[in-house]
Amino acid sequence: MNTEKTPLVSVRNLKKHFPITGGFLQNQVGAVKAVDGVSFDIYPGETLGLVGETGCGKTTVGRTMMRLYEPTAGEVELNGVSLTELGEKDLRKIRSKMQMIFQDPYASLNPRMTVGSIVAAPLDVHTKLSKKEKHDRIQELLDIVGLNPDFVNRYPHEFSGGQRQRIGIARALALEPELIVCDEPISSLDVSIQAQVVNLLEKLQKELGLTYLFIAHDLSMVRHISDRMAVMYLGKIMELAGRDEIYLKSMHPYTQALMSAVPIPDPDLAAKSKRIILDGDIPNPKNPPMGCNFNTRCPIAKERCFIEDPEYREIEKNHWVACHFAEETRS
Amino acid sequence: MAEITPEEITVTDFAVREHRSLWVDAWRRLISSNTARLGMFIVAFFLLSTTFAHFFWEYEPKKDLNYSLKLKPPTLIPNEEVPSVHPFGTDKLGRDIFRRVVHGGWNSLRVGIVAVSISLFFGGLTGLFTGFYENIDTTHIEKLFLFGLTGLVLGSLSAWIAAQPIQAIFFAILGVIAAYFKDFQKGKALRMVVFAIAGALIGAILGAFVSSAVALISLIWGAITGALLSRPLEGKFFSNVMMRLMDIILSFPGYLLAIAIVAFLGPGLEKGMIAIGVVGIPVYARLTRSAVLSVSQKEYILAAQSVGEGHGRIIFRHITPNILSPIIVQTTMGLAGAILSAAALGFLGLGAIPPEPEWGSMLGDSYRYLTSGAWWAVLFPGLAIMFSVLGFNLLGDGLRDALDPKLRT
Amino acid sequence: MTPLLEIKNLKTRFFTSEGVVKAVNNVSYSMESGEILGVVGESGCGKSVHALSIMQLVQDPPGKITNGEVWLDGKDLLTFSEKEMKKIRGSDVAMIFQDPMTSLNPVFTVGFQIVEALRLHNDMTKAEARERAGELLALVGIPGAEQRLDDYPHQFSGGMRQRAMIAMGLSCEPKLLIADEPTTALDVTIQAQIVDLVKKLQDDLGMAIMWITHDLGVIAEMADRINVMYAGAIIESGNVRNIYKKTRHPYTMGLLGSLPRLDEDPGAELLSVPGLPPDLLALPKGCAFAARCGYRTEKCLEEKPPLEEIDGREHAVACWHWEEIAGSK
Repeated sequence: MNTEKTPLVSVRNLKKHFPITGGFLQNQVGAVKAVDGVSFDIYPGETLGLVGETGCGKTTVGRTMMRLYEPTAGEVELNGVSLTELGEKDLRKIRSKMQMIFQDPYASLNPRMTVGSIVAAPLDVHTKLSKKEKHDRIQELLDIVGLNPDFVNRYPHEFSGGQRQRIGIARALALEPELIVCDEPISSLDVSIQAQVVNLLEKLQKELGLTYLFIAHDLSMVRHISDRMAVMYLGKIMELAGRDEIYLKSMHPYTQALMSAVPIPDPDLAAKSKRIILDGDIPNPKNPPMGCNFNTRCPIAKERCFIEDPEYREIEKNHWVACHFAEETRS
Repeated sequence: MAEITPEEITVTDFAVREHRSLWVDAWRRLISSNTARLGMFIVAFFLLSTTFAHFFWEYEPKKDLNYSLKLKPPTLIPNEEVPSVHPFGTDKLGRDIFRRVVHGGWNSLRVGIVAVSISLFFGGLTGLFTGFYENIDTTHIEKLFLFGLTGLVLGSLSAWIAAQPIQAIFFAILGVIAAYFKDFQKGKALRMVVFAIAGALIGAILGAFVSSAVALISLIWGAITGALLSRPLEGKFFSNVMMRLMDIILSFPGYLLAIAIVAFLGPGLEKGMIAIGVVGIPVYARLTRSAVLSVSQKEYILAAQSVGEGHGRIIFRHITPNILSPIIVQTTMGLAGAILSAAALGFLGLGAIPPEPEWGSMLGDSYRYLTSGAWWAVLFPGLAIMFSVLGFNLLGDGLRDALDPKLRT
Repeated sequence: MTPLLEIKNLKTRFFTSEGVVKAVNNVSYSMESGEILGVVGESGCGKSVHALSIMQLVQDPPGKITNGEVWLDGKDLLTFSEKEMKKIRGSDVAMIFQDPMTSLNPVFTVGFQIVEALRLHNDMTKAEARERAGELLALVGIPGAEQRLDDYPHQFSGGMRQRAMIAMGLSCEPKLLIADEPTTALDVTIQAQIVDLVKKLQDDLGMAIMWITHDLGVIAEMADRINVMYAGAIIESGNVRNIYKKTRHPYTMGLLGSLPRLDEDPGAELLSVPGLPPDLLALPKGCAFAARCGYRTEKCLEEKPPLEEIDGREHAVACWHWEEIAGSK
């Protein structure tokens, strides 16, 4: 699809292990492998969706990619600049090019700051605008995200969840970034408000030419907004492909199960659909299973899956899968 | 489906709630509560009356003496026996108790306020830094600072044993060096040995100037300090060292520690302030630290980082305003506690130096006349202590309800 | 035949320092035994409060049921005393809640909690109750049920805790099971397990289920009938096919349009509902949805539309313009 273009972001073999410390001197006694070797590219102007269930590491991918967490290993490049090698100062400078929208609109805005100063924070750090210019820019931003510009002096607690999320979006847009990482931006909102925010994000992408990494657990919403999507499970990407390929021709048994578990708001289709019910729960990332991460719940797991970790490979053009039997399920 | 997106409706049309900041909200809740209003009234009454008395009603305790009026009961109308007005009676030296209670208030409240300021300043900063650096990746300069500070704190124990303040500075330098070489990913064991030897040398060489026994103790402690400083846990390590120090202070009974400090420094109002202040440090350190830890988990801190805001800006713009509520409440309650502690020290004769008036020492001076019927000499300073403490406690309760409406039952 | 549950003009209010929150406004409907009723709405629409009102679990103060009747199996629950309600809860109606993390007591074993619930309503010895508890855990699909009775809640995963809650709810074979957002806190694959389980249990045991949710997807496949709530009132109700296929209320249409569907072309813009739900402290005089509605006319702002039956019990809608909407489709 986009292979000829150069990627805006390329992530290679990214790992983030959180140490588990214990004992009197706080020695490291283990690690939670939240992200364990993840690779993908994001091309300019597209939306890459990242789906997965609780604890699969999707949020950690976003934060580690932005270097809000120090990666344990791996490479992240933004426009050819290696983020992983940047020093403190350069890193702070480059943050103007990548911004983030957070999950919880109640926790992501400082309750003691006015809307104006929240949106102004990135401008304070990265620009030398005059007071007047800053004021105008804030008004413009609030207008873009559909908020009344007269609300600059109000506090976050005076707004509803959806409105707060718009404030968060205005903050992310302030510096005209190239990449916005949307970390579950809609999962704490009501259904009708979710659609408003998603429509706003799509509108902004069209008008400002933004690139999104859209992280969520809601498969149908991710498919709606993304051009390509990646499915994560227990710290690894299981499958990555264009949104239609992944829906019509998914090759990984986890993707298939996830897809079939999504409820359909239509009683006729729901009655017809056959559901793959996975047994059991997601294993604890403190001690993931040997071999393939998914083997404890996989309906087609064979002996090999318990010994050997499947390679994450390009089965078809732009269709990456990490399953030993991808070639077989394909047909 | 039909279009249900009418053009005239935009999100902005929906009025948000009435406009006011969280502080204004809290103030309104505060003044609407009877308890808080009563507390505020009492506190204001004490603060104003003692301040006015101090500046506009001259009193020289050293010259105040009149044996002819010894232990007279409260007198409102002058008579032959008592020619002057003494609403609270007089004490064993014939001094007017009303006057001494009012002027004593200046000293008692001052001890309370200064002591709490000391606790708040040192405890608050300790809590702020330990809480903030517990989970955050430090920059190189911060690392140097934190390890230097840790070296200073650890080294001061050795310095204290040897009565050699200079030792602490050497350990601080060792800490800075340790942080500087952190980036060299050399073998952990080797680094540990090198720093342990360095620490031991500092301790032993400096300790040798005092005596061989001190040199040996300093050597052992220096080796331990050096080994600890070589550990790669950064902010978490600093926070651990500081909080264990706080635990040590907390493990002493408060009054006993205060008495010990005063005994060490010598009596006097100023020494009392320091003693009570030091004893209070861990309380504020723990409170601030736990508040900082919970605020640091909030997404707006992450958002500030993702925007590229520096650590200083994050601490002062995002964390500090959001941890103030519990600290304000604790400070108000702490004032009550400090006034009580000051009175306790004064009662034991470790506070104000006589004849300087102070509520606690007034009690201490007069309690033995209670048996001979001079109830007024004890009652009025006692009431002053009680009401001032009550006032601060009521105000603190009111503040807690006002600042954190979720806690209200 | 009398319905299993009949609610008439239920009103619940919360008297707060800022004013009266009108949480449930004149809700009336009935439920047959063995039926699965879905109650859908967004946060603050009164769906949970109305269920708590049925159970008389609304916290008082500040909450109060100010009006209405709740008939369960021929008994008017609102006239019952707290003592009588205690007997009803758990035996005739059981309720399971959204958060499986907090609805089990962390200091007792799961088995102990089920045994307690069983012995509260049944005349059973400890051994009998324990045996039954084991059966119940097995029924809800917990592997090694007998052994897991002695586990503490923290040893269970989220999905298993919700299963244990269901087991507890089923312990006295209630005629009505109220499930308040039972899968909202769970992942989709776990949600699929729970939905599958509840459907199976309903087939086997035949109790009526009230499934409260904000997710129109989940109930499409399991509910017989659906009530859509908005600002404390039912604005559309009817059988599943009517709600999804012959939608007549603009809010329901908006809700359905807001949901992206896996099987649809993802390129299209979502049909969102503009604006925000009204403040329950100050409900408008007319239709509560009017401010966000594209079909709004003068009448909508002036008069509250009643819940009008347009197809008997099979479909009712509270909108002045339903006929116009029916015509336009």
